[in-house]
Amino acid sequence: MEGTDYEQWLARAQSLAENIQMGNDDAVNRIIDEISRARESMLFQELGKLTREFHEALNGFRLDARITHLAQENIPDAKQRLNYVIVMTEQAANRTLTAVEEVMPVCEKLGAQSKDLHERWEKFTHRHMTAAAFRDLSKDVGSFLESAPTDAEKIRTNLSDVLMAQDYQDITGQILQRVIRLVNEMEEHLVRLVTGSGLRTREVAPPATPQAAVATAAASDTVAVHGPHIPGSAPEEEVVHSQDDVDALLSSLGF
Amino acid sequence: MKILIVDDFATMRRIIKNLLRDLGYSNITEADDGNSALPLLQTGNFDFLVTDWNMPGMPGIELLKAVRAMPKTAKLPVLMVTAESKREQIVAAAQAGVNGYIVKPFTAVTLKEKIDKIFERIQG
Repeated sequence: MEGTDYEQWLARAQSLAENIQMGNDDAVNRIIDEISRARESMLFQELGKLTREFHEALNGFRLDARITHLAQENIPDAKQRLNYVIVMTEQAANRTLTAVEEVMPVCEKLGAQSKDLHERWEKFTHRHMTAAAFRDLSKDVGSFLESAPTDAEKIRTNLSDVLMAQDYQDITGQILQRVIRLVNEMEEHLVRLVTGSGLRTREVAPPATPQAAVATAAASDTVAVHGPHIPGSAPEEEVVHSQDDVDALLSSLGF
Repeated sequence: MKILIVDDFATMRRIIKNLLRDLGYSNITEADDGNSALPLLQTGNFDFLVTDWNMPGMPGIELLKAVRAMPKTAKLPVLMVTAESKREQIVAAAQAGVNGYIVKPFTAVTLKEKIDKIFERIQG
């Protein structure tokens, strides 16, 4: 409370006390009215200040074109990118699971067959086997040896598929790096906006250094050119869709 | 044959390394971007370079240009394996003298085909 305000309040309070003691009802009511009016006008002043700050902040928001661009273009784009990450990781997970599920029984079969043949082979080497049982053993060894290479090849193929399925990490990693850069940029712009609009800034993190801002700008420039293609994110004619397209383009260039 | 794989993602380097091993190539060195690849290329006698495009530090296209500019590596076969799928980028790589271009995600068969083709052309 300012000095003059304080004196006014004190004068009012003293006059109120005197009038109450004298039993001057009209004067008491008048002074109470004055006090509440003064209180209201203070509230209105505060409210007016807040409204002006809010209005300026909104104007600043409209003036910062980059923020508008971030909100209208980059955020939906980032959402699309993150959805693509979900799709890719899901595909990779399913591909890996399928490959593993397919060869699990093959491994179990190979193990069980080897164990069975080994037990019978032991009987044979200890001469605990009839001629008829040996003929069966010999037949089973033959068919086991026949199918083992096919089973091994199946296992190798699926393991190789599991290996290839891990390529999602590279592509999704690149996409996530770009989204992180976007979030950082968004944060910097919001901090700058809050700092510049006269709102309370003490609780807000200090604005990023100019160097960091330059680095972000440079990074977002490269972002525009590089990185994995997200379906629907760029004009389709600018982008190749398969290795065949790449090969066709290169061969048109004399490759 | 001595091969250098350049990619900033360790998982992708491992995938390519495993695929190459499957194709019978086991003398493989790795680098995580152009800046760390160049000194290796200058000192080591590499026969083949597989590189990504989008990498922090020196990207693949700059590495390719640098490789072509050094007398020692000017004729080194270079295969680009990258998620960059814009036409202008493929054209830029071709102009910079790339020997093959594979877009990610790719298959083991594609990798084998491109490598075979590159060496066929070099020997022929």
